[in-house]
Amino acid sequence: MNLFPYGKAALSMFGLAVLSAGWIFVHPAPEKKATLTYWTFSKDHYDAYQKLIPDFEAQHPGVHVDLEIVNNNALAARLQAAFLSDLDVPDMTELEIGTAGTMFRGPVKDIGFIDLKPRLMQSGLYDRYVQSRFSPYTSRGGIYGLPQDVHPVQLVYNKEIFAKYNIDPDKIQTWDDFIAAGKKVTIPGKQYMIELSDSTTGSGGLETIMLQRGGSYFDPAGKCIIDSDVMVKSMEFYVPLVAGPNKIGGTTGDFYGATWSKSVEDGYVASMICPDWRTLFVQRGPTKMAGKMGIMPLPAAVPGGIRTSTWGGTMLGITKRCKDPDIAWQFAQFLYTDKARLAKNFQQTNILPPLKEAWSNPAFSAPNPYYGGAPLGAIYAKYAPSVPAQYTAPTIDTAKAKLGEALIDCVKYYNDNGDKGFDEFVRAKLKEKADDVRAFQARNPY
Amino acid sequence: MSVQTVNTPVPAAPIGRKASEGIGKLAASLILIIAGVIALTPIVWLLAKTVQNKDDILSCLYFAPISHWTTENYQHLFVKTDFGHVLLNSIFVTDVTVITQLFFASLAGFGLAKYEFKGKKLVMGVMLATMMLPGQVTMAPLYDMLYHMHMVDRFQGLIIPSAVTVFGIFLFRQSILQVPDELLQAARIDGCSEFRIYWDIVMPISRPMIGAFCLMAFMGSWNNFLWPQILMHHDYYFTLPIALNQFNGMYSTAEGSMGILLAGTMLSVLPVMVLFVFLQKEFVAGLTAGAVKG
Amino acid sequence: MRAKSSGWFSAQHKLAPYIFVSPFVIMFSIFGIYPIIKSIMLAFYATNGPKSQVYVGFSNFNFMFHHHDFQIAVRNTIIYTLCSVFLQLPCALGLAILLNQKWLKGHSFLRLAFYSPNLMGTVYVGILFQQLFSIHYGLVNRVLASIIPGFSTDFKWLGDPANVMPALVLTSLWLYVGYNMVYFLAGLQAVDKELYEAAEVDGANAWQRFWAVTAPSIKPIATFVLVTSTIGSFQFFDLPYIMLGNGGGPNNAGLTIVMYLYQQGFITGDLGYASAVGWTLAIGVLAISLLQMKLTGSMKGND
Repeated sequence: MNLFPYGKAALSMFGLAVLSAGWIFVHPAPEKKATLTYWTFSKDHYDAYQKLIPDFEAQHPGVHVDLEIVNNNALAARLQAAFLSDLDVPDMTELEIGTAGTMFRGPVKDIGFIDLKPRLMQSGLYDRYVQSRFSPYTSRGGIYGLPQDVHPVQLVYNKEIFAKYNIDPDKIQTWDDFIAAGKKVTIPGKQYMIELSDSTTGSGGLETIMLQRGGSYFDPAGKCIIDSDVMVKSMEFYVPLVAGPNKIGGTTGDFYGATWSKSVEDGYVASMICPDWRTLFVQRGPTKMAGKMGIMPLPAAVPGGIRTSTWGGTMLGITKRCKDPDIAWQFAQFLYTDKARLAKNFQQTNILPPLKEAWSNPAFSAPNPYYGGAPLGAIYAKYAPSVPAQYTAPTIDTAKAKLGEALIDCVKYYNDNGDKGFDEFVRAKLKEKADDVRAFQARNPY
Repeated sequence: MSVQTVNTPVPAAPIGRKASEGIGKLAASLILIIAGVIALTPIVWLLAKTVQNKDDILSCLYFAPISHWTTENYQHLFVKTDFGHVLLNSIFVTDVTVITQLFFASLAGFGLAKYEFKGKKLVMGVMLATMMLPGQVTMAPLYDMLYHMHMVDRFQGLIIPSAVTVFGIFLFRQSILQVPDELLQAARIDGCSEFRIYWDIVMPISRPMIGAFCLMAFMGSWNNFLWPQILMHHDYYFTLPIALNQFNGMYSTAEGSMGILLAGTMLSVLPVMVLFVFLQKEFVAGLTAGAVKG
Repeated sequence: MRAKSSGWFSAQHKLAPYIFVSPFVIMFSIFGIYPIIKSIMLAFYATNGPKSQVYVGFSNFNFMFHHHDFQIAVRNTIIYTLCSVFLQLPCALGLAILLNQKWLKGHSFLRLAFYSPNLMGTVYVGILFQQLFSIHYGLVNRVLASIIPGFSTDFKWLGDPANVMPALVLTSLWLYVGYNMVYFLAGLQAVDKELYEAAEVDGANAWQRFWAVTAPSIKPIATFVLVTSTIGSFQFFDLPYIMLGNGGGPNNAGLTIVMYLYQQGFITGDLGYASAVGWTLAIGVLAISLLQMKLTGSMKGND
C-alpha cells in the first residue's frame, strides 16, 4: 500500500501543512488577560503611552493595561465588525474623527460606546475642554468620545522661497493677500504657493477651508447641509485655487512619506496647511529643511475672521464591552488630564491637548529649532479656542465621499469652462450630492 | 508531423514572397520580444527595487549600481513587521486547503467517473448549475452562517468552506475517465478493495493531473483576497494578501518603508513561481484539458 | 490476497461510490447549496451585521437600482468587461499565433515569460502597479516621459477619474494576457495540420488560412475563453480595490459591482443588501453568458 499516492508536490504541501500547523499550535492567539485593552492606530501614541502605562499600573495595583496598535485603515472597519459580530472588542479605543460617525448608525441602544456625558459633567471636564471638540463625537445628545486634541491649523512655509520673492508673512492678513503673493511665487509645474489637493477633500484641502468659513457636512441635528450657501461659496472659493489658469495650489498626491518629503525639499510647494500633529511629520520628513521653515497663521476668510481651522482629530471611547468602565475612565483621565503628562505628550508628538489649563505649562512655549525657534505650542494654543465645530451623522463617510466627487466634478468644470456658469454648476452639483446623502440617510431602517 | 517540402506543385514564388516572409518573421520576432519585455519588466523591477536602499528606490529608474545593493529591506521586513507570522499563516492555510481539496475532489471525482449510482445525474447537474453562479452570491449568507458557527476570524472559517471545489471534482472526473477500466477490473479480481483501487492505482496514474490541480489550488488559496478580507479581523489570523494590503496602506508612503513593502510583495509572489517552475508541464496540460474538448 | 467473499465484494462495489462521494456532497450541501438558498431569502431583508434582521421586501432592489453609486459601479464594470474582451482576447490570440510559428526558437521560455504575470496574485500586482503608476516617481510615467515628447511625469493615472479605468485595463491586460494565451495556444496546437496543408495547396495565403482553418477549429476554446473572461471581468474586485487604496478611487471611477457589494455588505454591515446585489450580479452574468454561448452557437457544436 502506497504511503502517499499523490506525488511529490502534494507530499511537500502535506509536509508543510503539518509543520506549520505545529508551529501555530505552539504559538496560539494571545489570550485577553489584561484588565484594559486599549487600541490605538498611531505609532506615536503607542510609543508615548507605552512609557506612561507603568506609572498607571503602579498607582492601581492589579490593573494591567494592554496596548495594541491597529492599522488606521482597518481600525474603523474592525471596530464595526467587532461590534456587529461579537469579536474581540477592546475596552477602550481611539477612533479617528472622520469615521467616528459611522459608529452611530443603529438605534442609540446599539451604539457600541458608553455615553460619557454624565462623567464629563460630573468631573467638570466638559467646561475645561475646548467645547467645539465634542461635536464630532456627539449623537442624539450623547457624547461618545473624549476628544484627545484640538488640532488648530496654521500655515508652515518655506522661509527661503518667501524671502526670495519678498513675501512678508506678517503682511498677509486675508486669503486675498495670500493669493496675490501666490501669483508671484507660482511656477506652474515646478513650484506652487501652497499644497492643496484638487481631488481629495480631506488632507488639509477643501474640508479645512470650508470649516474655516463656517461650512459643514451636517447641522447640529444631523441633517445634511452640503448644498448650503456657505458650502457653495466655499467651493467657489476653493476650486480656482487648485484649477484653472490662476491656480496656486499643487500637490504630488501624497501628504506624508518619502515622495512628499522630497517634494517639500525640492521646493515644489512653498507652504502647506499644518495642524499641530503635522508639524511633527514635517520635522521628520523633509529633514533638509530644518531651520528653514516658518509658521504663520492661516489667512482669514474675511478681514477680522478666524485665522485658523482644523484638520483631523482622535477620540477615545470606552466600549460597552468594558467590564470596569470606572477604571477605564480613570485611565482616560490619567492620560489626558494630568498636566505634566500632557506636557510630556506634547514634547513627543507636538499635539495640543483640549484641556485649556494645560497650555500654561512651559513645555508648550519651548522654542522649536526646526521652525527657527518658534514656540510651537504657544502659537497653536493661541488659536485653539477658535477652532470651528464639526457635526456628524451616521452617513458621514457617504457625505465625505460625495463632497469629494463634487470637488472633482467642479474642478473639471472649472478647468474646462472657467467662471462661466460656474455658480450654477456648483449649486446644482452640491444639491445633487446632498440629495444622494439624504437618500442614504432615509434608507436606514433603524 | 510537419511536411518539409511539398511535393505538389505550388506556384513558385518570386523573391518577393521570400523577402516578405522574412520581413514577416522579423516583425513577428520584434513583437514577441517587445511583448516579452513588457511582460517581464515589472517583475524584474520589483526584484531590483527590493535590494535598493531608501534613497535609490525613489531616484533610480530601474537598477541601482551593484555596490549599493542591500538586503536591509528583507531584514527590516522580518524584524519590524510580523511578516514571518503572516507567511506562516498563509503556508498553513493554503497547504491544508490544498490537501483537503485534493482528497475530497479526487475521491469524489473517482466516484463520479468510475461508478454508476442512484442520484448521480442529480448530483452532477446541481454541481454544474452552481458552477455558473459567481461566488459573491453566497458571501453574505456564508458569513452569517460562519458567525453562528463561531468560525468567523478563525482559520477553520477559511479552510472548511473551501474544502468543496466543484471545479476540482470535474477536473478529476475528466482525467480519471481516461483510466482504462480493465486496470480497475484486474485489481478487483486480485482482491483489491475499492478504496485501495483509488489509493494504489488511480491516484498514482493521475499524478500529472494531481500536479496541475495542486498548483491551481495552491495559487487560488495563496492569492485569495476577498474572502479572507471579509472573514479575518484580528491580525493574528491574517494571510499574506490581507497583510500586504494593510502594509500597502501603512508603509507605502512612510519613511523608508517602500522597500519593506516591495520586499514583502516579492516574497509573497515567490512560492507560486517556484511551484510553477516545477509543475509547468502538468499545469498547462491540466488547464487546457477541459477547455479544448469544449 | 483473495477476497473475503464475493458478497462482501459486490456490496463494497455498490456502496463505494456513495461513500466516496458523500463527504463531498454533505460539505457541498452545507457550504454550497444552503448559502445559495439562504441568500435568496436574505436579499429581502436589511441587516445590521449577522445579528439582527428586518424584513424589507423589495426595497433593497428598489434602492439599488436608483442608487447613483450602484449605477456607476455597473457602468464601470461593463466598460471594463468590454475593454477586457475586445483588448485582451485579440492580444492573447495574436501572441498565441505568433508563438505557434514553427520557426520560432525559445518557445517555452517565451511562454513562461508571458504567463509569469499571471502567477502573481492580483493583490501583489495591484501593489506593484500602484507604485508603477504613481505620479512623478513611478516607472510608467518616467519611461513615457522619456519616449513621448511633452509627456509630463506628473500625469495622474490613479488620481484622475478619467485615467483610472485605462490604468486598470492596462494592468489587467498585463496580468491576464498570458493566461488566455495559454488556452489559445493549446487550441492552436490541436488544430489538424492537414487542414493547413490542404489550404496551402489550394493557394490560400496566411490571412485566408486563418479564417478558413484556424478560426473554426479554435471556436470551442475561443468561446470558453470568451465566456470565462466575461464572467471573470464582471467579478473584478481585487485590482481596483488595492490600487485605489481600498476604495472606489476618485469619483468612484474604479468602483465595480463586487466592490460595491463588499462596501455595502461588509463595511456598512447590511448582509441582506449584499445578497440582493449578489443576486443581481449573478442573474446579469448568467444572462450574458447564455447569450454569448447562444451567439457563438457552441452549445451543441455548430461546426
